[in-house]
Amino acid sequence: MKANVQEKDFRRKSVWTGMLMMVVAALTLEATALIQYHFSRIGIREEASKRAESQIEETKNKVMDILNQAESAVRNNIWLARLCLETPDTLQRVTEHIVRENQVVIGSTVALVPGYNRKLGMFSPYSFIDPATGELESKSLASEEYDYPSQEWFRNGLEHEDGFWSEPYIDTGGGDMIMTTFSMPVKDPSGKTAAVITADISLEWLTGLVGGSSVYPNAFNLIFSRSGKIMVSPVETLVMRNTIYEMIHQFEDTAAFTRVADSIMSGESGNTSIHRGKELSHIYFAPIDRVGWYMSVVIPDDQIFGEVKKVNSYVALLQLIGLAMLFLILRAASGSQKRYNLIKEKKDRMENDLMIAKGIQMSMIPKVFPPFPERSDLDISAILVPAREVGGDLYDFYIRNERLFFCIGDVSGKGVPAALVMAVTRSLFRTVSAREDSPGRIVAAMNDSMSEMNENNMFVTFFCGVLDLTSGRLRFCNAGHNPPVTLTDAKRRLEVVPNLPLGIMPRMEFQEQEFIMRHDDVIFLYTDGLTEAENSESELFGEARMMNVLSTRRSANDHLLALEREVADFVKDAPRSDDLTMLLIHYINPRATERHLVLRNDIGQISLLSEMVEEIAEERGLDSGVAMNINLALEEAVTNVIMYAYPEGEEGELRLDAVIDDDSLKFILSDKGKEFDPTAKPEPDITLDVEKRPVGGLGIHLVRKIMDSVSYKRKDGKNILTMIKHI
Amino acid sequence: MEVKITTLDNETTVRLIGRLDTPASQEVAEELQPVKDKADGTIILDCEDLSYISSSGLRIFLSIRKEAAIKGGKVIVRNINDNIRNVFMMTGFLNLFVIG
Repeated sequence: MKANVQEKDFRRKSVWTGMLMMVVAALTLEATALIQYHFSRIGIREEASKRAESQIEETKNKVMDILNQAESAVRNNIWLARLCLETPDTLQRVTEHIVRENQVVIGSTVALVPGYNRKLGMFSPYSFIDPATGELESKSLASEEYDYPSQEWFRNGLEHEDGFWSEPYIDTGGGDMIMTTFSMPVKDPSGKTAAVITADISLEWLTGLVGGSSVYPNAFNLIFSRSGKIMVSPVETLVMRNTIYEMIHQFEDTAAFTRVADSIMSGESGNTSIHRGKELSHIYFAPIDRVGWYMSVVIPDDQIFGEVKKVNSYVALLQLIGLAMLFLILRAASGSQKRYNLIKEKKDRMENDLMIAKGIQMSMIPKVFPPFPERSDLDISAILVPAREVGGDLYDFYIRNERLFFCIGDVSGKGVPAALVMAVTRSLFRTVSAREDSPGRIVAAMNDSMSEMNENNMFVTFFCGVLDLTSGRLRFCNAGHNPPVTLTDAKRRLEVVPNLPLGIMPRMEFQEQEFIMRHDDVIFLYTDGLTEAENSESELFGEARMMNVLSTRRSANDHLLALEREVADFVKDAPRSDDLTMLLIHYINPRATERHLVLRNDIGQISLLSEMVEEIAEERGLDSGVAMNINLALEEAVTNVIMYAYPEGEEGELRLDAVIDDDSLKFILSDKGKEFDPTAKPEPDITLDVEKRPVGGLGIHLVRKIMDSVSYKRKDGKNILTMIKHI
Repeated sequence: MEVKITTLDNETTVRLIGRLDTPASQEVAEELQPVKDKADGTIILDCEDLSYISSSGLRIFLSIRKEAAIKGGKVIVRNINDNIRNVFMMTGFLNLFVIG
């Protein structure tokens, strides 16, 4: 459950992480693009300003060039006109000269101030290029309907000593041309203003000149006259018909437009941006001072920023592609996450199955200890530690008709296959032994079944025993398993015929053997996971270490715990390679009692022995002779230890364990003194006559004589003397 | 453990009362040191009240017996109970002493 929640949490987290990545990537890209766009715009805008300003400057120069030409034509001929004032008929030659000699000038007149020549009244010879023929023509402007003295060019020409450029106008006299006129006063030698001399220039060229060269394809130039009349515009219908202020209807934000128009018309130089319809336009403007015109260059925003916008859209497209790829990658990643989850799910399921399998396997073996709490004749403990979740080791035991059926086995191989064979083996053991008392026949029957169905060539080393709990008669059969260890008095050993493991071939014979277990005997069965437990230095735990642990007198459970602990201490953190299984059966007399006595290494303590022996004698109803003998043997054994195992003056302890069974007394004397084996002493010759008879050596002789079994072991720095007396 | 020594002419009677175990033997060995001087005569070890004997006790018996053998004396063990007789048997002491 916990894992599941964690996993969900993890999955949710990974989805969030993915989304977060997308968002962060998108934001980063967008920010980069924005910054790039922003700086590009600034750069491009600066570039556009420069271009527009230079355009204005260039146009201004071109305009000024033409205007200067016209002005020069007038100024250069004023002296000639002055000369001709007296002979007005010759004035036409002046005007003809001006038009002929100056390409930009399309018309010229010298108009006398009315009344200056009393004879002539109005007089104004006008020379011009006929737009239809291209020929130089002349005519008089002095007519009632034209009334040149009322014309702007004339009036202003009179007043501006330095010359005056008229508002552009459509010439009705000549050829419907838009033109403007430069006029200057002509003064007679007396200084009196006698006439106005003019030069007309066509504004067609201006349109051609200005309208044709634009900084951007869709940009355009506008030139407004002093009064705001549109002189140059790409929209020809507006030209000369409308003023700058009449363009206002093209703009939604009229206030903004008025501000722009005012700026232009007040002769400022600068630029501004304004929306015309949906389009943003950038307007650059400057006055052409000499003529009082106002020039402006209008550049639509997408003209200026078209490129950057295009680049920007490429960038945006790239970003989209990048994000799409990122999305795909993330989806692929989440796909692999899904696959991972699937595998994990599968793995979890398998692990779960394995845990269930482990539970099933463990439930197949008895594992409640003590298993027979109602019985006082058996102390049984067992342990199975699989190297993995499930293992191929097994043990089993149960009591039927006062017989203890028990077994231990080790399936070749590991893991699930071994576990399955283990389960089969255990089932067979239970099934076969339910109706069969002979371990030899049990093993043979199991072997037949297992060999017949053994397609995977897996075999099982197996040891099966049947202990008659009333008589202590143990019948057993070994099928290739390592022989069990018996803890008895040293004179009896369990000899085990190896035989072949189960499952090799059917119809084999397995030799059955027999061993008489006495009360207090222990049979210890184990798998090679114990003795072959390996540490990181590739050393094996070995039988010596095992026997060492077993040499201490303990309960069955304590024995196994001690062994498990020893193995763990030995192996440390090296990986466990094999299952570890142990089964220990302690066959005890239910009527047996135990006594313990701890003595100092002081001869004075000897008297405590007789107290213990008296109690035992009373408990078991021993006759005084037997009791005395036992007392004597114990005294001799203890005296030996006190005299020989400890150096003079060194303090030490002796421990005497007595196991009082109904047919035997077992005494185990242990001490931590220096190694001293009383049994190694030669038997004294008690037939020698008095002169040759040595004084010593009688103590151990008496022990041997009195006890039925005497054995010595040196274990864990201890002298252990085991003495058994049958009664 | 108690020891009663009575000497009459050439015959010394040692009466052993109690348990002649190892600790007792250490004391008894000293007490019986003077008895060894009488080993040229007859020494009677009266065991009527001796309930127990260990190898150290036997050693005292043997040392007296050896002294007697050297000095040409005689050692008689009297009134031993069955249990102690058994110990004497196990140790071959029955052959070394006159049991009377």
